[in-house]
Amino acid sequence: MQLIEAYIAIIPVTLSQSLLLSFLALAIMIPFRVLNFPDMSAEGAYPLGGCVCAVALVAGFSPLVALALAAMAGFLAGAATAFIHLRFRIHTLLAGILVTTMIYSLDLRILGKANQPLFNESKIFDHFAGLGLQPTPTKIVAAGLMVLVTYLVLQIWFQTERGIAMRAVGANSDMSEAQGINVWRVTLGSIGLAGAFAAFGGGLMVQSQGFADVNMGLGVLINALAALKIGEAIVGTRRMWQQLLAPFAGAIIYYQLISICLVAGLAPGDLKIATGVFVLLMLAGPELRRRKAPRAKARGNG
Amino acid sequence: MLEIENARRVFFQGTPDEKVALNDLGLSLDKGDFTIVIGSNGAGKSTLLNAISGALRLDAGRIVINGDDVTATPVHRRARHVARVFQDPMKGTAAAMTIAENMLLAELRQNPARLRLGLTRARRNAYREQLSFLGLGLEDRLDTPVSLLSGGQRQSLSLVMAVSGSPDLLLLDEHTAALDPRTADLVLQTTLRAVNALGLTTLMVTHNMQHAVEFGNRIVMLDAGKVILNVTGAEKEKATVPSLIEKFSAKTDRMLLAG
Repeated sequence: MQLIEAYIAIIPVTLSQSLLLSFLALAIMIPFRVLNFPDMSAEGAYPLGGCVCAVALVAGFSPLVALALAAMAGFLAGAATAFIHLRFRIHTLLAGILVTTMIYSLDLRILGKANQPLFNESKIFDHFAGLGLQPTPTKIVAAGLMVLVTYLVLQIWFQTERGIAMRAVGANSDMSEAQGINVWRVTLGSIGLAGAFAAFGGGLMVQSQGFADVNMGLGVLINALAALKIGEAIVGTRRMWQQLLAPFAGAIIYYQLISICLVAGLAPGDLKIATGVFVLLMLAGPELRRRKAPRAKARGNG
Repeated sequence: MLEIENARRVFFQGTPDEKVALNDLGLSLDKGDFTIVIGSNGAGKSTLLNAISGALRLDAGRIVINGDDVTATPVHRRARHVARVFQDPMKGTAAAMTIAENMLLAELRQNPARLRLGLTRARRNAYREQLSFLGLGLEDRLDTPVSLLSGGQRQSLSLVMAVSGSPDLLLLDEHTAALDPRTADLVLQTTLRAVNALGLTTLMVTHNMQHAVEFGNRIVMLDAGKVILNVTGAEKEKATVPSLIEKFSAKTDRMLLAG
């Protein structure tokens, strides 16, 4: 009983966290699922966005401008990964790891130190102070609104000619080129967009937690991937709206699962194992369900 | 409509594997020509189609389509002129997307994607009508992912996509070779109907000599990256399979003796 109460007590905090990090799950979904471009540069774009946002806030820019600058920096990071892949034919994952590695040094240069606290700078959440809510509910409303707007805009985008052309590049790159689609431009733009979402999430997180840290990106990718996989398992992927909802729904559910683990007494240091097990279960799920079928057949389909 | 001058392409240049795929090839097609391209394996048929579509750049030479020099034009910009159906049904469609979405993509060849609603009601009706031409019932399955279609259905869809918007040039790369005989015949008949109805300038690669004799108004025979035989007009009308094979052997023997 006590455990359940403890869990319920932290729901608002975990909910606001998950809404902020759902942008990161979205930044994983776009390359992996829409572009068929497995990419890990979100792990670099996220802290980059955080650092750029922090520096912009310290320099006196408004929270919204700081977020916009963060998103732009993330766009460049994603576009850099796409360019390295397109131009030099380096594997997408390796291109992303290269960019992420270089961004770490860049973050240190931008921030000028390993950590930047933000005490008096105004935050995006201040704009929602008029609601008269406590800090955490304010964050939930603000982040929830941004998630909703992002989802709706993307939902419309994927029904436009350009949105359909973007999906075509992921579905069959050669064919889409033969249909007059500029694969380079679409890939640069889409992977850039994913980077922008990751950096936007980083900027939001920095404004929420009140500091930026060059190490804030460490391991976030696997969290986002876990969230995405869980979301896909629950809301499905058949239709575009489901695929688009998956990162957001997944992020919310994933952080509740993590929170249950913590309340149940799991040490924070062991969370990585829990996350890894989640991802593994989600990835292994289809294979496990197929166990009843003959072994050879399962191999053929795998 | 199509002018190819001295097209040259060499693979693995300067290595023991060097292969001259296109050897100063020249070819000129008039508007409405339905040309059948024949030749043995490695004669340069696919290389020629790749060069025309832009998938492969020439080392030297010039390609002009409808008065537009496209020699240095990338694939996605040539798409305005050229549509292509591949041998592999998987290549011409986006499997993960629906039939309607694939039809929309074909439309983008001539009207690049813009920021406006894709699958409008008017478009869906138009696609339904275009697909009903096939008689396969695809018009009632607009929202079905293409991955659920059979090879023949996919190839038929590729064909409808390719002829939509009446491209300046239609390239058919052994597009019935991977299908079972009955389906192959169905796709071929549909091809002939569409090409005739729309008067499309067409290049069709085939290994089937009978088709070469029966269809089209020109036969072009390739060997070692060159056009070794160009049959047109009355000569084409009279052509038979034995006469073609005889000509082919005579030409290649002479080349062997000369070389």
